[in-house]
Amino acid sequence: MSRALGALLLCAAAGLAHAQATPEALEWLRRIHQATEKLSYTGVFVYQQGGRTETSRITRRADASGGVEKLEVLDGTPREILRTQDEIRCYLPESQIVKVDRRRDQRGFPALLPEQVNALAEHYAIDKGEVQRIAGYDCQVLVLAPRDNLRYGYQLWADLRTGMLLKARAFDGKGETVEQFTFTQLDIGSVPRERLRPSRAARSWRIEQAGVAPADLSQSGWKVSADLPGFRKIVEIRRMLRDAQPVGQVVYSDGLAAVSVFIEPLAGRAEAARLGLASMGALNVYTREVADHLVTVVGEAPADSVQRIGNTVEYRRPQ
Amino acid sequence: MKSKISALMDGELEARELHEPMAALQQDEGARNAWRTYHLISDALQGRTLLSTDCLHRVAARLAEEPVLVAPHPGPIRAPERARWFVPSALAASVAAVALVGWVAFAPQQGAGPIPVAQAPAPAAVPAERAKEPARLPLTSASRDYLLAHQAFSPRNGLLGMAPYVRSVSSDAAAKKP
Repeated sequence: MSRALGALLLCAAAGLAHAQATPEALEWLRRIHQATEKLSYTGVFVYQQGGRTETSRITRRADASGGVEKLEVLDGTPREILRTQDEIRCYLPESQIVKVDRRRDQRGFPALLPEQVNALAEHYAIDKGEVQRIAGYDCQVLVLAPRDNLRYGYQLWADLRTGMLLKARAFDGKGETVEQFTFTQLDIGSVPRERLRPSRAARSWRIEQAGVAPADLSQSGWKVSADLPGFRKIVEIRRMLRDAQPVGQVVYSDGLAAVSVFIEPLAGRAEAARLGLASMGALNVYTREVADHLVTVVGEAPADSVQRIGNTVEYRRPQ
Repeated sequence: MKSKISALMDGELEARELHEPMAALQQDEGARNAWRTYHLISDALQGRTLLSTDCLHRVAARLAEEPVLVAPHPGPIRAPERARWFVPSALAASVAAVALVGWVAFAPQQGAGPIPVAQAPAPAAVPAERAKEPARLPLTSASRDYLLAHQAFSPRNGLLGMAPYVRSVSSDAAAKKP
């Protein structure tokens, strides 16, 4: 029994290794990406992970300056995130704080640049599936199956007419869902400007700026290496996380999934550090202490990958 | 709700059913009264020496009267906090041990004959079978800052738009404080 299963898995894996991303499937990824940039819409979606569900609303208004988007959590505390072409503002009513960060993913979807497409296809088998109906829209199914167990796989459902993504599922090596986003209702079309203002924020709320600056952590003695096939460094910065000391952040990506390594001094932290692994959906968080610093690795990758990257972090006092 | 509290007391609920009665016990005085009453009934039926129902209040009142001891903490506060988080790694170790036992138990079967597709080229990128994923904990509210800072760099935003940001503002991330 177990031998038959092993044989089947070997067959499947061998088949995957030889598969190439079909141009049609890549064209679909391009359409989905363009839809996220060009369309105006408002819709309610459900986020599912670990047996829990949470409902939120996304509203997007496309305009000449790149568009404005708002995400509102509809269950529990009414938190909101507003995103413009170059800024992200996160409104937290319970603490009356607005977190402000500059946006850095506006260069589009780098994995679809011609020189990156092959790199993506090297780590994921990208295939077109059948047509399925989601929230009233006929959708094309796309599958990005990982070629190893260092990353999760993704299944996408995109509207046949507009390319708008109606549903996205991340799955692990056993094919089991780790998280899922599903629109339960969606209106594509013009959205009035008023819908994109923050609903609750007041002037008295405290503003926390991320204050990001480029950095070279190796100069202060830190050595971080991705050590995972396909993951390469995309950015290295110094930033604020709360109103405390600056935190170093190094981000690695395989073109689709990203893993961030945060390094900050332990001294001056208000709360005790919680070491070990934690997770939410496809995000795994691994925390350890290195040389009186807290190392926190956050990644949309299996726990093992996140841990492997975290365990490469070393400190040597600069000469 | 009372039947659930009764089931909880008798240890008949599964882990996934705990949330509702536990929340009721935290928020609802009626539920707490039911909990105390059921214990009283159980004690009476089993012939234990009875505690009066408002014993809780009397203990609380006595505690309030105790003088507050003002003294420096005998050591770094973080130490016991940290010790608690060794539990999951012990759990992970036992999971790994179980996985190993499972592996060893299946090993003899491999010698029984050639695997039919042994000729099929195995993909180089797939590493050997690993132990099960280690035990994981729910995120705390403090993690939200990291999630938000991380999300801004995720290429997945290029396909999913803003949806993945929900994780950095999710109530789940804040709900579980140990």
